[in-house]
Amino acid sequence: MRLVDKFTIWFIIIFVLVTPVSMFISYRSIKERMDTSETVRLTDLNNHIAMQLKSGAAPQQFTISHPITIERVAALPVNKVEVSEEQRFNRNRNQNECKLTVSSFYNINDSYYKISSYNDVTKSKEILNGMLRAVFWKMALIILLIVITTRLVSKYILSSFQKTLDTIQVFSLRQREKLELPETNTKEFRQLNSFLKKMTDKAADDYSKMKEFSENASHELQTPLAIIRSKLELFAETDISAEQADLIGDMQNAIEKLVRINRSLLLLTKLENLEYEAAEDLRFCKITNSVLASFENWIQLKNISLVKNVDKKVSLRIHPSLAEILLTNLLSNAIRYNWENGSIVVTLTSHSLTIKNTGSPLEIPAEQLFQRFKKSNQCAESVGLGLAIVKQICNVNGFHISYNYLEGYHILQVEFTKSPAIAEAFEEKQVGILLDSPAIV
Amino acid sequence: MKILAVEDNKELAASMLEFLSQDNNICEHAENYEQAVDKLSQYTYDCILLDIMLPDGNGLEILKFIRTKNISSGVLIISAKDSLDDKIVGLERGADDYITKPFHLSELQARLRAIYRRKQLNGDHVITFNEIALNTDTLEATVNSKFLDITRKEFELLLYFLVNKNRVLSRQAIAEHLWGDYTDNLANLDFVYQHVKNLRRKISSLNGVDYIDTVYGLGYRFKSTAI
Repeated sequence: MRLVDKFTIWFIIIFVLVTPVSMFISYRSIKERMDTSETVRLTDLNNHIAMQLKSGAAPQQFTISHPITIERVAALPVNKVEVSEEQRFNRNRNQNECKLTVSSFYNINDSYYKISSYNDVTKSKEILNGMLRAVFWKMALIILLIVITTRLVSKYILSSFQKTLDTIQVFSLRQREKLELPETNTKEFRQLNSFLKKMTDKAADDYSKMKEFSENASHELQTPLAIIRSKLELFAETDISAEQADLIGDMQNAIEKLVRINRSLLLLTKLENLEYEAAEDLRFCKITNSVLASFENWIQLKNISLVKNVDKKVSLRIHPSLAEILLTNLLSNAIRYNWENGSIVVTLTSHSLTIKNTGSPLEIPAEQLFQRFKKSNQCAESVGLGLAIVKQICNVNGFHISYNYLEGYHILQVEFTKSPAIAEAFEEKQVGILLDSPAIV
Repeated sequence: MKILAVEDNKELAASMLEFLSQDNNICEHAENYEQAVDKLSQYTYDCILLDIMLPDGNGLEILKFIRTKNISSGVLIISAKDSLDDKIVGLERGADDYITKPFHLSELQARLRAIYRRKQLNGDHVITFNEIALNTDTLEATVNSKFLDITRKEFELLLYFLVNKNRVLSRQAIAEHLWGDYTDNLANLDFVYQHVKNLRRKISSLNGVDYIDTVYGLGYRFKSTAI
């Protein structure tokens, strides 16, 4: 619900609640004023008749149309004036009328008189009816105006807020540009803007620190690793015994693993830093074919049968290196965890990539499959970061990956939820960074 | 081949110099920007190994220097960053290739040789060793002047052996050379064995000498003298 709608609704609720109360108050005060003025008039009339009685003249017997009653009473009551109001039925007009009677008591020539005169006054119901009609129009008019003006005014008042929203929407930490927000004279928006500015500046600062750290970590670790690796290579060149060769071999294996872990973790960090932005669409089908070709020997070695359903003209917006890593990791898993004489089915459409392979069921829960350093059969030859990287690549590109085990097949499906670019518009061109050397068989 | 290694890390530089100078290369070392510029102004080199992260300034500055002075040496960038930006910037500014730390010395050698081959004007693209000849242009190989029917990977493997004669090449180094370094995939090692086996069989079938020696526990060695 929009802010302006919320305000409008609150205005209307308040208005609806207040109206009956104000109506009651105005009704009461109108009725009271009318009765009071009528009472004053009738009291005056009574006084006038009393004067006539006093002077001995024949008293007037009627007001305008109603009879005046004059009677003697035994004593004067405490209140010299009594006012009573009653509803009576008027047969001629066939409706109720409201009758206001004023009785005044006088001491005239030592006799006590009660002089009563009455008049019909406007009924409460009529006042109420009149008011209701006015209130109805008033309400309709006010609600209409609230709805219209809040919309017009909010556009003006919230314009700087809207600008702020637009600015943050396109803000990206990677652009290394500071957040520039429009000036505003609204206190709350000024606070919001200054808060946003502080927050983004801090985030930008943290981001650059993190980047710096990952770069430094990389540099600091890679150089010692390079030294150890090169020294071992030189050591292997020297005159060594078989026993020493074995030891060197083991060390080389361990270093190899270390190098891979370091490299994979750095790749994950870079993915998290969103350092791989795709500038243009990529022929994903071509990369799929070239990665498949590079694995051909390995597939033959394990005597795996490969079924390839790769659609032509599948283009996606993804960084070429990431596309290659994604496919390489998925396919090498499909081969590595396969049986001898097993099978692999690779299906690529413009909506999804599905890789099915035979293999033993997972030994870990499927939901742990994409976690770092989780391996099904603790296969010593793998680091356990391959699928974590795949998952991260999917996250970065807005793809959705799912895993299933069905009838002896591991099924990994990557859904390209983003609508794939129109393949026709994509000109035929060689994808720049493919595998260094796709196998020619 | 005359090589200048610009690398601030002394141990790594020592390894590179020791390895490269075994192949009749003349290797010199510069530790920082100043020394590098000094040497580049006085001598000519065939190849320059350039660490782009030097303590006294970005190695890219040296690249700029090389370009402004029209130095025709091949440049191989060494970086620990492994970030795509560096790679692209480096190659755009006139470097010939890019290698990421930690690298195998044999890989370094192969890359340097490749740059050297490309840089030599009118140089022929045929590498010969005794009865074996490899044409790096057409990717064709012959043994005893007979066509050797090998796959692209086997060609690359043979080339790798030839530029690293008499070196122990670990299976990892070979795997990384053939399949790149992004695979989380050490099972490729069996695969190296398969490729080496095929290569030996194919060369033998053309009456070639079996130069490839298995070094127990470590890998393989291409011996310049027959076993």
